[in-house]
Amino acid sequence: MSQIVLDTLVFVASVLLAASAIIALYRIVRGPSILDRMIATDVVLASIMCGLGGFMALSGRTDLLPVLVVLAMLGFVGSVSVSRYVSKSDSMTPGAEVGSLSDFSSLDWHMPTESTGDGEGQDDAKTRPVEESENEEPWPDDVARGIYDSPDGPDAITVQPDEEPVTVGLDQGADPDAGAAGEGLGTGPDPGPDDSDDGARTPTETDDEDSAREADDAARESDDEGGGRR
Amino acid sequence: MILDIISAVLILLGGVLSLAAAVGMLRFADLLSRMHASAKPQVLGLIAVALAIALQYPNWATVTTLAIIISFQLVTIPVATHMVGRAGYRTKHLRRSMLYRDELAEAVDRAEAREVAWERRKGIGTDHNDG
Repeated sequence: MSQIVLDTLVFVASVLLAASAIIALYRIVRGPSILDRMIATDVVLASIMCGLGGFMALSGRTDLLPVLVVLAMLGFVGSVSVSRYVSKSDSMTPGAEVGSLSDFSSLDWHMPTESTGDGEGQDDAKTRPVEESENEEPWPDDVARGIYDSPDGPDAITVQPDEEPVTVGLDQGADPDAGAAGEGLGTGPDPGPDDSDDGARTPTETDDEDSAREADDAARESDDEGGGRR
Repeated sequence: MILDIISAVLILLGGVLSLAAAVGMLRFADLLSRMHASAKPQVLGLIAVALAIALQYPNWATVTTLAIIISFQLVTIPVATHMVGRAGYRTKHLRRSMLYRDELAEAVDRAEAREVAWERRKGIGTDHNDG
């Protein structure tokens, strides 16, 4: 009697494990992304581990216990490597620029907080020597790779289409200072700090530019911004 | 004989958990929901099966090896699941409509604002050094 109950239980358990493995295989085939496939692979591995453990419990093959260790480590290494691969590849998507948040570098961990405004130069010199050396000799390599917004960099090549409507808007404001600033953009051999204000605009500063243009006194607003930065 | 039946019931419990994970894998609509489903047999099912083995063969070598396996699984499964979830969040493999609350988005917004402020202050510093 009890032998029949035992056989029935073992049969039902094996059928359930086989069904779960087959359903997880269906998710591996149909998975929309590689992460879904990875999770389904983990479920298949868990089914295999449960089945192997049941086989060991019923047949006495306890010498197969290292196989369980290997399967557990296989699932862990597979999940971690696949997720690392996916995280690495998301900075290659066309929406992600170099300076955006998804692109982490080792310099981001040394980013000073807001409260350390007093010892700013010391902190910069201490924690980010790479950035300081970039400030001294910014280009051509870093500018060409786009990781540095250089004041002396090739504005006429890269940033010129972006800053063209900005100078037009400043000229429409009929402000002589703004016109002079727009004129000094690309002409002189030494552009100076004006270009660092107007030419090397990061995408975060263009948002400020839009909001300043939406204000009623646009020209004075941008003048105040430029004066504050200089 | 009663130990055999208890072991068979534990193996059946592992099979039921594994099937539940597979059905969740089939039916759930989201990466995070599927992760929620898939964590059950990896920990609970393996613990049930290890209890079955330990009931059948209660000697020291088997029990210590099972303890090593279970502790290894308990340590590594949260790490792997965390990394899969992080990769899924960064590559936007989640449905916003299925979330009640996204606490990570607030942290991302704060980090983004901090980065903007830092870049702005860096611009001030370089201009001051130039002038």
